Amino acid sequence: MTTEVVRDVQRTDVEQAVEREYRRHRRLQVRDLVLAVATPVLLLLLWEVAALTGMLDARLFTPPSEIVVRGWEMIVGGELWVHVGATVARLAAGFLLGSAVGIAVGLLMGVWRPVRAALGPTFTALYALPKIAILPLLLLIFGLTETPKVLSVAISVFFVVQINTLAGIVQIDGRILEAARAYRATGWKLFRNVLLPAATPAIMTGLRVSAGMAVIVVTAVEFVASNNGLGYLIWNSWQLFQPQTMFVGLITVSLIGALITGLVIVLERALLPWRHSGGPRRKGKNP
Amino acid sequence: MTSAPTRTGTSTDAFVVTGVSKIFVGKTPVHALADIDLSLQTGSFTCIVGPSGCGKSTLLRILGDLETATVGEVRNLLPEGRVPRSAFVFQEHGVFPWFTVLQNVAFGEQMASVGKREREEHARHWIGEVGLTGFENAYPHQLSGGMRQRIAIARAFATGSPSLLMDEPLGALDAQTRILMQEQLVTLWEAERKTVVLVTHSIEEALLLGDQIVVMSARPGRVKEILDVPFGRPRSVEVETEPEFTRMRQEIWESLRDEVQASMRFS
Repeated sequence: MTTEVVRDVQRTDVEQAVEREYRRHRRLQVRDLVLAVATPVLLLLLWEVAALTGMLDARLFTPPSEIVVRGWEMIVGGELWVHVGATVARLAAGFLLGSAVGIAVGLLMGVWRPVRAALGPTFTALYALPKIAILPLLLLIFGLTETPKVLSVAISVFFVVQINTLAGIVQIDGRILEAARAYRATGWKLFRNVLLPAATPAIMTGLRVSAGMAVIVVTAVEFVASNNGLGYLIWNSWQLFQPQTMFVGLITVSLIGALITGLVIVLERALLPWRHSGGPRRKGKNP
Repeated sequence: MTSAPTRTGTSTDAFVVTGVSKIFVGKTPVHALADIDLSLQTGSFTCIVGPSGCGKSTLLRILGDLETATVGEVRNLLPEGRVPRSAFVFQEHGVFPWFTVLQNVAFGEQMASVGKREREEHARHWIGEVGLTGFENAYPHQLSGGMRQRIAIARAFATGSPSLLMDEPLGALDAQTRILMQEQLVTLWEAERKTVVLVTHSIEEALLLGDQIVVMSARPGRVKEILDVPFGRPRSVEVETEPEFTRMRQEIWESLRDEVQASMRFS
């Protein structure tokens, strides 16, 4: 009888402790979310107040409320969509082209030593060249068409993705390769079942880094060599002294950048379930 | 069991090693193995012990064709089929993190182009044998070190190779898990009777698992002696309480002591 009671007491103690632990975890999650949202909201409020009271020059630092109004006008009037469409089209074409070729060349260099020896040093040297600097050359060759804009993005993406892909193959743990060899994995089977999955995390890193870079490059290209797109919109607002429009352009570009990075992360989670499916939660890991 | 090394090899031999030496070429050449003669019977369980750096892993790799002998000859008399003649178990990092338990265990047969249904059936059987039922779709990083090692062992058995080559398969495990897995390994082997070569640094493990123990010298590794293990089968950890166990452990340790001291002078 007494042991029964003791056991009951112990169980409720354990249950309570577990419940407490869950509550603590949920509380921390909510707190993180609140802090993450509160910071930008607070900054925007400060900005609004500072601009309205004259602490900031409202002609240069358009109050957020006016930016929202201007943005809404441009959305309804269709003006913003024209620029968004042009930029996204260049980004998508350049990013897909650059990453597809980058992954292919990186993999080839990884698995085939002569290709690596032939291309490695040259690519490493070219990697250091600021890709935007070759835009004038591309303009000379292709004229004021879409081709030099898309190519600028593609070339920037290519180098980052190629280098990461190659590193992904070269850095595979020797013990993994030995295990593969011990089970007679060769040729396509070795590539498909061992080399490619082992390199995928590095490839995804390359894609994530180059996505941000692609947005920078497309904006810069549109500054100088375009009469549409968000880069053009931003640059043109400077020349016309329209800070509201400029802020709308800046915000839209950052949203597109965030969206692309988000898409790459979603892709990464889908392709790498073995990295993201939860293991045991450790206290030290997520403080 | 044959205890004296034979040069010719008989019909019941699985591996015949004759005059094998291995020199790794590098800045300073390393003489890893010197003049190894060894014959291993089909269906026998051989344990190789020796000081670290004595080339026992290298010998295992040469047996499994992952490494070639600089001089000498290794004859593998086991039947050649669609699966490799030897399946390996490595100390760790031998399982692929991007595959589930099921895919890892089926890997050997997948590489041998065995159909998906058949290889997954075999894999499920061996997952059950090593006690991982219910974890078929888990990824290795979700499991403990002991469970990951059981994946590697299940994969070696599921591949269906006539011989298993194990390189300190239980070396990275804690003492308790290790004892349990030694017993599990004995049971699995007693049911299958494959030719097994197991490299270990644990004399107890060698005595518990093996039919014969090959004691190697410090680098360059030579076969110092080959001992027959007298304990019958089926065998369990209880043999460790027998006086003969203590006597043999002492004998092997004395044989190894000089070699360990020699190898410590090296490094």
